[in-house]
Amino acid sequence: MLKAIYDWVDERLDITPIWRDVADHEVPEHVNPAHHFSAFIYCFGGLTFFVVVIQILSGMFLAMYYVPDIVNAHASVNYLQNKLAMGAIVRGMHHWGASVSIVMLFLHTLRVFFTGSYKHPREFNWVIGMLIFFVMLGLGFTGYLLPWDNKAYFATKVGVEIAATVPFLGPYIASFLQGGDIVGAQTLARFFALHVFFLPAALLGLLGAHFILIRRQGISGPL
Amino acid sequence: MGKKVSRRKFLTYTLGGTAGFLASGVLFPMVRFAVDPVLKRGAGEQYVDVNLTIDQITETPRSVEFTVHREDGWYVPEGGEKLTAWVMKDDNGDVVAFSPICKHLGCTVNWDSNPQFKNEFFCPCHFGRYYKDGTNVPGTPPTSPLDRYKTKVENGKLLIGPVEKA
Amino acid sequence: MEKKHEQVHYVGDSRVRVNREKMYPKDYSEFPGKTEAFLPDFLLKEWMVAVVFLVAFMTLVMTEKPPLGEIADPTNTSFLPVPDWYFLFIYELLKFNWAAGKFIVIGTLGLPGIAFTALLLVPWLDRSPERRPFKRPIATGIMLLVLVSIVVLTWSAETEHKEQLESAPGPTPENTKVIGQNEQGHKLYQQNACVKCHGEQLEGSNGPSLLGIGNRRSADYIIKVIDEGKGTMPAGMFQGSPQEKKILADWLVKQKQK
Repeated sequence: MLKAIYDWVDERLDITPIWRDVADHEVPEHVNPAHHFSAFIYCFGGLTFFVVVIQILSGMFLAMYYVPDIVNAHASVNYLQNKLAMGAIVRGMHHWGASVSIVMLFLHTLRVFFTGSYKHPREFNWVIGMLIFFVMLGLGFTGYLLPWDNKAYFATKVGVEIAATVPFLGPYIASFLQGGDIVGAQTLARFFALHVFFLPAALLGLLGAHFILIRRQGISGPL
Repeated sequence: MGKKVSRRKFLTYTLGGTAGFLASGVLFPMVRFAVDPVLKRGAGEQYVDVNLTIDQITETPRSVEFTVHREDGWYVPEGGEKLTAWVMKDDNGDVVAFSPICKHLGCTVNWDSNPQFKNEFFCPCHFGRYYKDGTNVPGTPPTSPLDRYKTKVENGKLLIGPVEKA
Repeated sequence: MEKKHEQVHYVGDSRVRVNREKMYPKDYSEFPGKTEAFLPDFLLKEWMVAVVFLVAFMTLVMTEKPPLGEIADPTNTSFLPVPDWYFLFIYELLKFNWAAGKFIVIGTLGLPGIAFTALLLVPWLDRSPERRPFKRPIATGIMLLVLVSIVVLTWSAETEHKEQLESAPGPTPENTKVIGQNEQGHKLYQQNACVKCHGEQLEGSNGPSLLGIGNRRSADYIIKVIDEGKGTMPAGMFQGSPQEKKILADWLVKQKQK
């Protein structure tokens, strides 16, 4: 039955080559932790992706209860964390996942750097990886404000003031981030939009490019 | 060859098991979190003292206003939610409280408000009518009787609870 | 058979070929131990790692509740702002004199800008074909140096923040009575700079309240703090003689709360 459905779809869309390409590509032994335990350093990229998936899922679920508004944001976070079953766990996954994803991303970057994997012909994928790094930092910065507690508020204020020191453009960048003259209601609204729409969209695009390039170029050879 | 197939099968099963563990480990807390309102449905049923003693309730329906404290997640409306009930004693002498929401399209019904239809609940929107016991008059728009509030009597006073689910 | 005579059939009017070659899994048993297929062999190992990771992660999540502070209050002047830990090193950078005040641009845009641009352009800065870290000492050396400084900066920002928290004005204690208002210690307190940060009535303004300090600290400890400073409190703020300092410390120790 399942096979009949698959064949029906495959006849029309020719999907076999797509997943076969992913499924059948050979993975060299030097990245396989089952062969050399030290190869676990090659797992950091995959684990980063895993945490990103956790972040996206937990973020979507948190958005079922969260409201980006200075009057209700804190109350809604407080409600979803303390009044709902597993609220503390779902928010915990998102909160700690943010830190863990930065750590994993950092370790992955170091692995690529110290194994010289960014060299010819993989220069471009390194650049994409760095852009992913910036987007993730942006996600961290914008997400930090959303609970609208004192820590969030004052950290964002400092962040915006740092942005304001950029010569010439500084004040404009600050107003853009704030959405007004102060860190307030409009800042929260646009940080929310950046955090859940713009930056994740950029992240997904970059991740797609990152993975396509890995499939094209393969994993860098052993040292 | 037979050995190879079983190895592949084994790998497939372990892979499926691992995938299941990963997916459920990640998704279980999130789904539980999302369906929490479903599981909490109807909890926190509260009865409101409407400041009416049993003796004051007659066979003639009277409109009673009361406010319910409602918690809408993190939002608690100030002053609560205002509700109305038509309170009366039925033929057996039991207290009944009808919801004034018409079962047709949600307008508010009134007792004895139309001189043409004496001793009936009447909805002005589409001329829906109900008998005194709340049953809809056949041939008028409503298709079912008026909802009843759950009621309790404590110390000779009437308490009104949530609407009874049919 | 010549190729041009080959008939090509498509599915309907699409570009999907009817008699296209199906792809079957390769048999990797011919290359034992060298390579293996991504699915299912390698993916299984990768997911095993993911399982271990997930268990550790969920343990962390379940033991540590995510923090949620008081609702943001822009008028709260005593709150010490601190960014998330991975921005701490930039934050700490701004405390250096050469990256603050007139030179703030160096700290906010200059150094991070150079660092991030360099990071972005690494493949073109390090163009040798050599991949082993020891064979390209400059790249490895710079990276290690940056790593160490990031760790050091983050660590010092963290300790500094903890110290500041200690010298930050906390909540005012319930007992608001200053003991021994007419004693010489009180006079010394008011004549010196103490009063500016710790308040007219010891209630604390820029610094913490000293009400009830006698419950927590000894005279020796107080003298040490007066001499060496603590957190944001600078050293050597007391202008009087050592005897007067002792009188002041003894008077402060008398500030006890029930």
